[in-house]
Amino acid sequence: MKVGLFIPCYINQLYPQVAIATLELLEKLNVDVYYPSTQTCCGQPLGNSGYEEDSKGACQLFVENFKEYDFIVGPSGSCIYHIKKHFDILEQTPEVVKVRENAYELCEFIVKILGKTEVGASFPYKVGLHKSCHGLRGLNLGSCSERMEPHYSTEEDLLNNVKGLELVKLNREDECCGFGGTFSVFEEAVSVKMGKDKIKDHLDSGVEVITGADHSCLMHLEGLINRDNKPLRVMHIAEILNKTL
Amino acid sequence: MGREAILKSIKQNKPALLPLHEINLEAFSEEVNLLDTFKSNVELVGGTIQELKKNENLTTEINKRYPKAKKIVGNSQTSDIGTIPISKETEPHQLENIDLAIIKGEFGVAENGAIWISEQDFPIRVLPFITNDLVIVLEKENLCLHLHDAYKKIAGRERSFGLFISGPSKTADIEQCLVIGAQGAMSLTVVLI
Amino acid sequence: MSHSEKAAVFNKNEAKVNWHDKALWYVREKRDNAAHGVKGWEYLRELASGIKANVLSNLDDYLIEFEANALANGIKVHWASSAEEHNQIVSKILEDKKAKKVVKSKSMLTEECHLNPYLENKGIEVVDTDLGEYIVQIAKESPSHIVLPAIHKTKEEVDELFQEHLGTTPSNGNPEYLTNEARKHLRKKFLQADAAITGVNFAIAETGGIVVCTNEGNADMGSHSAPVHIACMGIEKIIPKEEHLGIFLRLLARSATGQPITTYSSHFNKPTEGREMHIVIVDNGRTEQLSREDFRASLHCIRCGACMNTCPIYRRSGGHSYDATIPGPIGSILSPGKDLTKHSSLPFASTLCGSCSNVCPVKINIHEQLYSWRQIITKDVKQPLVKKTILKIAGVVLSNRTLYNIGGKSARFMLKYAPRFMVYSKLNAWGKARELPEVKNQNFDDWYKEKRKNNG
Ligand code: SF4
Repeated sequence: MKVGLFIPCYINQLYPQVAIATLELLEKLNVDVYYPSTQTCCGQPLGNSGYEEDSKGACQLFVENFKEYDFIVGPSGSCIYHIKKHFDILEQTPEVVKVRENAYELCEFIVKILGKTEVGASFPYKVGLHKSCHGLRGLNLGSCSERMEPHYSTEEDLLNNVKGLELVKLNREDECCGFGGTFSVFEEAVSVKMGKDKIKDHLDSGVEVITGADHSCLMHLEGLINRDNKPLRVMHIAEILNKTL
Repeated sequence: MGREAILKSIKQNKPALLPLHEINLEAFSEEVNLLDTFKSNVELVGGTIQELKKNENLTTEINKRYPKAKKIVGNSQTSDIGTIPISKETEPHQLENIDLAIIKGEFGVAENGAIWISEQDFPIRVLPFITNDLVIVLEKENLCLHLHDAYKKIAGRERSFGLFISGPSKTADIEQCLVIGAQGAMSLTVVLI
Repeated sequence: MSHSEKAAVFNKNEAKVNWHDKALWYVREKRDNAAHGVKGWEYLRELASGIKANVLSNLDDYLIEFEANALANGIKVHWASSAEEHNQIVSKILEDKKAKKVVKSKSMLTEECHLNPYLENKGIEVVDTDLGEYIVQIAKESPSHIVLPAIHKTKEEVDELFQEHLGTTPSNGNPEYLTNEARKHLRKKFLQADAAITGVNFAIAETGGIVVCTNEGNADMGSHSAPVHIACMGIEKIIPKEEHLGIFLRLLARSATGQPITTYSSHFNKPTEGREMHIVIVDNGRTEQLSREDFRASLHCIRCGACMNTCPIYRRSGGHSYDATIPGPIGSILSPGKDLTKHSSLPFASTLCGSCSNVCPVKINIHEQLYSWRQIITKDVKQPLVKKTILKIAGVVLSNRTLYNIGGKSARFMLKYAPRFMVYSKLNAWGKARELPEVKNQNFDDWYKEKRKNNG
């Protein structure tokens, strides 16, 4: 099984530690991981801003980079969702179809494809899980509070098996954090308010570390936390799952 | 003028015919105690339940519950309590100061505490709304589980006017505070016989 | 003003935002509880969505069937292509009856057609009798929510309005007192009315009847008291069979307010003997929406308001920030169909979180339609030059690895070395309340080249 590691552009540039943790974690789990060095971006920022047409080149390049792998795994639910959902703008060649079908968010890959929920991690903190919308409602990584379905959560399955980790229950378990790509700048006031409310929920619930499977939401929350000097740390779930004592 | 233009535009713009699917009512069947569920839902929606015991008389019980009611519209089917006679010719504004109306309910719906009443049960449509307080008399046996069953029950009716009524009139339009008694009846008592 | 500008104004008063958010979240929670109590909830939604899809695909025939049955029952049926035609028809009916005083129950359609000012210009008194609508009417505002029209008003504000218009005594915003005062006032209006106008929740093709749902009883008080009842409906209100009401009525109130059913679900099939009943069937842009494949499902809407209550942006920006008859997520996919330029900021007033689509009882893919509108708007409506240029350039850079290498480096360079005052200048909306990410010395590409030499 050959796995192509997809590192979204902003993680590559701004959060290399998340990419490293993802890679190391997969290697630890004995996955044969490759990192195609000419990758750029899935095109999501363009599509969500209404410039889907202009993203075709990026999407096509993505397919070129990843078509030879059995699975494509990335530490960002919204990018994976974009590939699965919005690569319909490309001609549906066998390669495009293959890439769309085999793209997986990291947690989903570990739980569904590798069949593991215990990855040997240890992290003795009170953790609040931010369920990013595209992972939750787009990729169905877990049950949503709006839907009348049995509770499940891919990320919780993994975090509950991390030694010492206490998963904290929030008041609003899956409300959006307000990032939303360019929404964060074009609707600055509401975006910031949503983020602040989210952070307050974590603080009120006694969280020490906020985590999640989508670092773009976390970047937004981290920006607010750092500005206001709130006593919270932000870590991608890959970083937690890659931690051993 | 509008009619033809609208129909033509629909014809041009509608998608290819999509099927109407069968409804699998099995998916909604539940083993619940109809009477208990109904009673708790009537209370949930702000109504009051009174179960008439064998030896109790409907008129006496209603009088006990509404001692101050003077202008009462009854109905021969339910009790002889009425003090104001009404007929199809009665004008709505003549009912402006009615204290109490008693209406026979046809059946109740357990899932939501609603009761079906129809024009056949009250000669003037405005009566259940304009009265200050409303009593609906309902036979305990006449309950169904949910609205799917309810529509089966009324499928063959004479269609003029009828309604599901669930609790007294209410509003939460001022700061989401629930207030019982908006434009319709201020209270609803369901007397189960 | 765009949505974001209005939202920014709304957010100047954080306490009010918190209050608004909490009030609506509470309704959303009530909806969740109510839905949890229904076995087969998700299946109900599927059925409802399927019925609405069928309706749209056969709408002309259903309307003809509905009309025939309604006529046979003694109801008069009118058709209006536009808001103007609708207003003319209503006004003509009133004129024929010499009606001067009208009571109206909630109807988003008459809001959409701006019926009130039209009739008032003709010297007719129109009183909105739903308490929330009454409040916004005397405040000379528009509803900020389709189910809770006055949700933006505090009880103290209502108190003041009532003192001014109803001569009530100051009560510190006591909801019981205020509601009762309105009740007394409106009862007079009902009994004096020459005509009643109501909306329509469902129109049943099979029977030619309509169903109107209220909690307050105002639609019934009006329509049964006045000599003439005019019910106004959009063409999409049709459902094929009466048994389908079982599905829709189970969903509607639970989705709207968390009640198991509205207090009154009134089934009108025939006029009262000796009185008149009219139904006005309105298009006003609906058949155009029907032609848009990606957007026609927006016509499934049963106006429950659940998508507003769940929307994190609606709750924190208020209904008036949408500047449209129907605010919130559903409004943001309906309004661009009516006036693309005027409403072009609405599809962007969303993070595409998808919560609206999940609560919607008729399963409208609202967030996907928002995404689709965005693609259209960037082509058809002039975009801010900066935004457009940045994104167009990004498209080129991201499809070319060499350019990307340079681009990525310079973005990081900027973040790392630009002095704070530059990055956080006025144009930088990110930095107003948020720090930028800290820049590490090495990106992942470089790390990988160094650490995993033999791979890739
Ligand atoms: S779009 Fe759906 S959730 Fe929103 S008001 Fe309409 S029916 Fe309700």
